[in-house]
Amino acid sequence: MRKPIACTGGIVSERESRGDHEGGRTDIEPAGEQYGKKTGGQAQDMNILQRMKDHFIFFDGGMGSLLQEKGLKAGELPETWNLTHPQVLVEIHKSYLRAGANILTANTFGANRLKYPDGGSWDLGQLVEKGVKNAIQARTEFVQEAVCSEDSYVALDLGPTGKLLKPLGDLDFEEAVELYQEVIQIGVKAGADLILIETMSDTMEVKAAVLAAKESCSLPVFATMAFDGKGKLLTGGSAEAVVALLEGLRVDALGLNCGLGPVQMRPIAEKILAVASVPVIVNPNAGLPRSQGGKTVYDINADQFAREMEGIAQMGVSMMGGCCGTTPEHIEKTVRLCRDKQVKPVEKKRRTVISSYSQAVALGREPVIIGERINPTGKPKFKQALRDHNLEYILREGVTQEDNGAHVLDVNVGLPEIDEPSMMEEVVKELQSVTDLPLQIDTSNLQAMERALRCYNGKALVNSVNGKEEVMDAVFPLVARYGGVVVGLCLDEDGIPETAEGRIRIAKKIYDRAASYGISPEDILIDGLCMTISSEREGALITLETLRRVQDELHGKTILGVSNISFGLPGREIINAAFFTMALYEGLSAAIINPNNEAMMRAYISFRALAGLDENCSDYIRIYGNGDAPGLGVTRKRGKASGSGDSGQEGKGQLGGNSGEMSLRDGIIRGLKEAAMAAAKELLAVRDPLEIINQEMIPALDTVGKGFEKGTVFLPQLLMSAEAAKGGFEVIKGYMSKTGQAQETKGKVILATVKGDIHDIGKNIVKVLLENYSYDVIDLGKDVPPERVVETAVKEHVSLVGLSALMTTTVPSMEETIRQLREEAPWVKVMVGGAVLTQKYADTIGADQYCRDAMASVNYAEKVLSASAEISI
Amino acid sequence: MEVDRKEILRYLGYGREQEEGPVTPLIDSCVEELSASAEPKHLSREYELRLLPGSRIDGSCFQTESRSLSRNLKDCSQVIVFAATLGMGVDLLIQKYSKLQMSRAVVLQATAAAMIEEYCNGACGQMRQIYEGEGLYLRPRFSPGYGDFPLRCQPDLLDGLEAGKRLGIKLTDSYLMMPSKSVTAVIGVSRKPHRCQVKGCEACEKTDCVYRRDSI
Repeated sequence: MRKPIACTGGIVSERESRGDHEGGRTDIEPAGEQYGKKTGGQAQDMNILQRMKDHFIFFDGGMGSLLQEKGLKAGELPETWNLTHPQVLVEIHKSYLRAGANILTANTFGANRLKYPDGGSWDLGQLVEKGVKNAIQARTEFVQEAVCSEDSYVALDLGPTGKLLKPLGDLDFEEAVELYQEVIQIGVKAGADLILIETMSDTMEVKAAVLAAKESCSLPVFATMAFDGKGKLLTGGSAEAVVALLEGLRVDALGLNCGLGPVQMRPIAEKILAVASVPVIVNPNAGLPRSQGGKTVYDINADQFAREMEGIAQMGVSMMGGCCGTTPEHIEKTVRLCRDKQVKPVEKKRRTVISSYSQAVALGREPVIIGERINPTGKPKFKQALRDHNLEYILREGVTQEDNGAHVLDVNVGLPEIDEPSMMEEVVKELQSVTDLPLQIDTSNLQAMERALRCYNGKALVNSVNGKEEVMDAVFPLVARYGGVVVGLCLDEDGIPETAEGRIRIAKKIYDRAASYGISPEDILIDGLCMTISSEREGALITLETLRRVQDELHGKTILGVSNISFGLPGREIINAAFFTMALYEGLSAAIINPNNEAMMRAYISFRALAGLDENCSDYIRIYGNGDAPGLGVTRKRGKASGSGDSGQEGKGQLGGNSGEMSLRDGIIRGLKEAAMAAAKELLAVRDPLEIINQEMIPALDTVGKGFEKGTVFLPQLLMSAEAAKGGFEVIKGYMSKTGQAQETKGKVILATVKGDIHDIGKNIVKVLLENYSYDVIDLGKDVPPERVVETAVKEHVSLVGLSALMTTTVPSMEETIRQLREEAPWVKVMVGGAVLTQKYADTIGADQYCRDAMASVNYAEKVLSASAEISI
Repeated sequence: MEVDRKEILRYLGYGREQEEGPVTPLIDSCVEELSASAEPKHLSREYELRLLPGSRIDGSCFQTESRSLSRNLKDCSQVIVFAATLGMGVDLLIQKYSKLQMSRAVVLQATAAAMIEEYCNGACGQMRQIYEGEGLYLRPRFSPGYGDFPLRCQPDLLDGLEAGKRLGIKLTDSYLMMPSKSVTAVIGVSRKPHRCQVKGCEACEKTDCVYRRDSI
C-alpha cells in the first residue's frame, strides 16, 4: 500500500510516484481529459474513487465566512465574487490546499437558475464556469509553487434549490432535476472532477440532484445531508432512510454536513457507519454558533474541532472537512491529527433495506408485512374507484392497512381501461402524502414502473422481475438507476418449475443477471411462488423447500404472496394462516398478505412471540391482553396510533350515547360518522333509500348548515356533520348499487386553488360540502394553471367553477383564470373564495359570485345548477 | 407544548363565550397529536436600522418602504430579524387529513396557528427581558403582510437569518412560507419604552380582519 504523503503545515515528505490509474472510472467527458492525466492544472496521480479506498480524503472548510472577512456584504450573493473577485477565491482555495485539503469545493453552492434568472444581472453560465476555474487555477498555482502536493480534486458544489418540492412546496420534481442538470453541464465542461451535493434536508430534492448528475455526466457523485440535533432531516428522514435512498441511487460517498458541530454529528455519523456500504463523509460546522457582538462565534475552537474529528476518524469515517465557520486552520489541524491513521476499509453491510422519505424498513430476521389491499384484482369496488379516479378510496385502503400493522404497502393499479402509468404515478405520490410506510411498486407495465420509481420518495420495493430474459433486461436497468429491492419470481419462459430444484435454478439465474447490472444479491427478494394445494398436492411443500434452499444455499432473502395457497378451497383464511406460520418458521422475510385479516395477523403476532422476536411478549400482550381476543373477522387495531384518526375521535365522541340507538339525523347533527352509518344501515331495512336521504339526511344537513350561517355551529362541527353524512351516503349508495337503483348527481362542479397558491384547505372544505349535496366535484387540486381549468371546463362542459386563493399575491392568477374562462367557456359561472377575498375584490376581478364561506358556495351551486337544469329541460 | 384553547377557538371562528359543543374531543386529540409532531425552532439576529425620509427603511439585510412599519419602528436604532417555525411534521399531518378527514385538518390548522403564535410570544418575551436588562425596549413584532409592510421582504429576512438552511423555511413564488406554520417578523430596539405591550395580531393595521383578536 502506498504511504499517505504529508506535505501540510510545512511538513514535507517524499512525492509519491505516479501510478496506477487503471481500473476505476475514466469515462468523463470534459475536453478529453481523464483522471490520472495531469493536464491543465490537474494534480491527480489517482482517480478519486481509487484514492478514497485506502486514503483519507480531506475536504476544504467554510467559504462564506471567509468571503465575509474579505468584504462580502450581507445580502450579497457569494457566487458573484467568482467574477468580481476571482483572486480572493483563488487565494482561499490555495489556503485550503496548503492546509492539506484534497477536495476543493468550487464556489457554486447557490448557483442555479432560480437565484440567477435569465435576464438578471448575472450570467449563470459564467458564474459556474468561473467558480470551477478559480479552483482549478488555485490548484495549478499551488502545484507550481509547492515543493510537493497531495492529489487534489475540484468538486462542483450543488446546494439546495432554495425551494420546497411538491406536494408541500411548489417546485416540480422534474424542474428540480433540470435546474441541477443545467449547472452540472456547465461545471463538467469547466473541468470539475466530481459532483458534491451538499446541505440537503429533503430526500426528494437530493434525489433530483443525484439523478441530474447521473443523467448528465459520469463523474463521481458525493452527497451529504444536513441533520438536526435529533438525527433527523428537517423533512423528517432518519439516517437509515437517507443511506438507503442514496445507496440505491448509487452515490459514491455519502454523509453529513452543516447544521451541527462535530460533537453533535458524531452519534449520527455512527448510525450512518453502521449501515452504509460506501465511504462516509463528515463535514461539520465549526461548532454550535452563537451571536456575540454582532459576530458569529462557535462553542469550540480549531484544536477542539480537530480532536473531535480525530475521534470521528477512529470510528471509521475516512472523508472529512468542514462547513460553516471552519477555516484553513481547522482543516490543517484535522489533517495533522488524522492523516497518519489507518483508513478502515468500508465493509459491505449486505442489508436488504427499503425506505420511505422518513423511515427505513430492513428485511431480515424480523418478518415484514406487506399489505396487499391496494389492488383491483377481484375487487369490483376498487375497480370502480380507479375508473372514477376516486383516490380517497385508495388512500383509505392504505391508511387502514397501516393502522392494522402493515410495514409496507403494495401498490397495484392495473386495469385495462385506465392509463396505468399516470395512475401509478399519481397514486404513489398521493399515498406518500398520507403515509410514511415504504411502498412496493407492483406492475408489469414498465412505463408505470419507471414513472413510479422516478417520483417515489425513497428506495422502493419493486414487484417484480422473473427469469425471463426480456423481463430481466427491462426491469434491472430501472432498479439500477433508481434504486430498489426487486422481487424475483421463480418462473421463466418455460413457466413455473414443478420442483424446488427448478425454482432454485431460476433464482440463481436472476441473481446472476442482476449482478451484471450492478445489483447486489441483497437487493433481491426471491419469491418461490405457491401453487394452490387444491390442484397441486405438494404445492405448499415445494414452496417451503424453495424458501429454505434460497436461504441455505443462496443466502438470499424471500417473499411470498401467501394466500394463493388456498385458491379454490373453502374457508381460505384457515389454510392461509396455517401456511403463513409454516412459511415464517422456514424463515420467510416478507409476506404479502391482508393485514386487515385477523387470522393472518394472529399467525404473525403469535409467531413473533413464539420465535423469540417479541421481547417479554409485549406486543402480543398489548394487542390481545385487554379482555377477550376478538373473534375472527373482527380486526383489532395493531399499528401505532397514527392512522386515519377516524376511530380515536369517534370513540371519545360517543361516550355520551350509544351509537346503535342514535337516529341518523342526530348522528349527522352531532357529527358521529360510525353512528350515522349504523343508523343508515338500520333504516335501510325498513325504508326506501331516497326517502332516507330526503327526509332524514338532507334535513339534518340543512339544520347544521343553517346553524353555521347563524353562527351557532362552527366550521369543525359543520365538517364533522358532513363527514358523518358522507358515511351515511356511502351505506345508502352501496345498497342502491346492489339493488340496481340509479344514483343521481346534481351536476359537475370544478374546484381549484389557483396557480401559485399551494394552500388548499378552503377548497377542500367546499368540496366536502358540495359532495354532501350530491354534486359531482372535479377537484383539480392546488397551484392549478388557468389553462387547465379552462380545458377541463370545456371538456366536461361544466356550468360552475369554484376558485380559491389565499394570498394577495395569487389573486392575479385568479383574475387571469376568470379572463380565460370568459373567452373559452363563456357559459361557465365562477364563484370565488379564500382568505384575502372580499365582495369588492371579487367584483373587480369579474367573478360571478363571492362566497364568504363554504355554505355560501353550496347555496350558490344550488342556485346555478337548478337554473341550468331547468334550461336544459 | 402549551396552547391557549381560546386562541384555537378564535381561529375556528368561535365567538368569545361560545361553547365548543361536540367538537371538544376532536380538539383534544388534535392538541395531543400536534404536541407530538411539532418541533418549534426560532432564530433571531440584530441589525443596524436606518429610518429614511419617505417611510423608507434600511434594516441592513432588508430595505423597504412602509408607512406602518416606519411608525412601528419609530425611535429605534436597531432591528431584530426574527423567524420561527413549527416544522414540516405539522404540514405533513395537515396534508394527510386534508385528504382523509377535513374536520380534523381544520382543527389541526387552527391549533397549529395558535401554537406558533404562542411560541413566538414566548421567544420574544425572553428576548424582551434580556434587552430590558440592558436598558433597551422592544417594539411589537411586525411581520411582512401587516399593514403595508410588503411580502416582498420575505426572501431578504429569511436569507439574513439563513432560515432556509437552519430552520427549513422556504418560500413559494408567491412568498408563502413553507412549513406553513412559520413566522417572520422584525422587532424594533429602542431606548424609549413606549407602546411595547401589544403583540402580533393587535399591531396589525388591518382592523377589519375577521380573525382579529379584539374584533370579537
